[in-house]
Amino acid sequence: MHRLFPEKLVTIITSDVLEDRLVASVRNRGASGYTILRARGAGSSGVQSGMLDIDTNIKLHVIVPPQRLSGLLDDLERLMHKGYHMTVYVSDVSVLGPEKYETSMY
Amino acid sequence: MGTLSNLLIPAVLFFALGFLARAVKSDLRVPQDLAKMLSIYLLMAIGLHGGYELGKAELTTAFNAVLWAVVLGFVLPMVGYILLLITRRVDRMNAAAIAAHYGSVSAGTFLTAIAYLDNIGIEYESYPVIMLAVMESPAIIVGLLLASWSRQRLAVTGGGNSAGVAVMQSGNGNGHLSSIVREAFTNGSVILLIGSMLIGAISSPGSMVKLFPFIDEIFMGILCLFLFEMGMEAARRIREFRKVGAVLVAFGLIMPLIGGAIGIAVGHYALGLSIGGTTLVAVLGASASYIAVPPAMRLAVPEANPSFYLTLSLGITFPFNVVIGIPLYHYFAALAAA
Repeated sequence: MHRLFPEKLVTIITSDVLEDRLVASVRNRGASGYTILRARGAGSSGVQSGMLDIDTNIKLHVIVPPQRLSGLLDDLERLMHKGYHMTVYVSDVSVLGPEKYETSMY
Repeated sequence: MGTLSNLLIPAVLFFALGFLARAVKSDLRVPQDLAKMLSIYLLMAIGLHGGYELGKAELTTAFNAVLWAVVLGFVLPMVGYILLLITRRVDRMNAAAIAAHYGSVSAGTFLTAIAYLDNIGIEYESYPVIMLAVMESPAIIVGLLLASWSRQRLAVTGGGNSAGVAVMQSGNGNGHLSSIVREAFTNGSVILLIGSMLIGAISSPGSMVKLFPFIDEIFMGILCLFLFEMGMEAARRIREFRKVGAVLVAFGLIMPLIGGAIGIAVGHYALGLSIGGTTLVAVLGASASYIAVPPAMRLAVPEANPSFYLTLSLGITFPFNVVIGIPLYHYFAALAAA
């Protein structure tokens, strides 16, 4: 198990209109990269069928070192306070090759 | 019976088929990006076609049409906003977001109206196409202004809990108002429609003729596919009726009638269009956006609930216009002309 190192995985599910804003925030908070999947489902914003531009959701995954987590969460909280509907959760993950997550995208 | 047989055109029937397929829980599925692709095609085709026709049209009338489109885009959301506040079923933020949808237009409804007019052999002018392009944007801006005005009012009166949170953020909310306005005019469908119109207007007529198989001959078939998918989409929304409530459903039926009446007045009296052209302007006034406005409202008015405005515009007003509205507006346009 000595090859595995602890990191934080932040997962965000929200409308795809927020994509640019989330990506900007992920970059500014020094993440090394991110992955976006297209998602569909239903919740407080009603059905998100993913069939039209207006009702497509995204699921954004970003792995950050624990010390960079709280800045990112601040940004997300600010968006939620503005009224944006989003699901955010953080999980503990173990990664191979931790140095990859130390260098930011710039 | 006459009106009913006019509805028996493939595009409307495919809308019904899509709706039915969804209602009986059929396993029928269309590829995820079908509707997105088809709406790009439809906007491009209607833009090229309208631009080509406009190239031959009168400039003064075209200018008047643009002017009236802007007026409609500003007036309709105000009417909707006041009506919604009277119902007392939604707060000011939701009222602003919903009203913006009703000031903007639905290209799908507009194209169905064209199919309807073609079917009964009624001529129409190309000016409504330019109005379609123009009317996408002003309503977004009015919606945003109503929303930020509502935010300030909530700040003054103290408002509820969620309102208080929204107020705290209003400082940087104003900061991106200009970027939202920019987005309203650089919105994908606006760029595509206006760009295609320009291309259609300045291309040499000879080269445009070569495009006719693309923009004319296959057009109705593509419209059938699009409406088929939209029928399924509408049926998907209709389950949220209960959440929306009877009063808002009534708004979704009455607002298009008001918009349609204003549209007939503008088309017939202000622009002096034919019965076909007046019908199309009425459809512009009556229809509610489900392409350009929802993303803008999501971004700029996060306090409003998307399931309200999407259910109203896609689940109620769109089917109403396609099935009942269009023949009705045509009937009243003919009445106004008589």
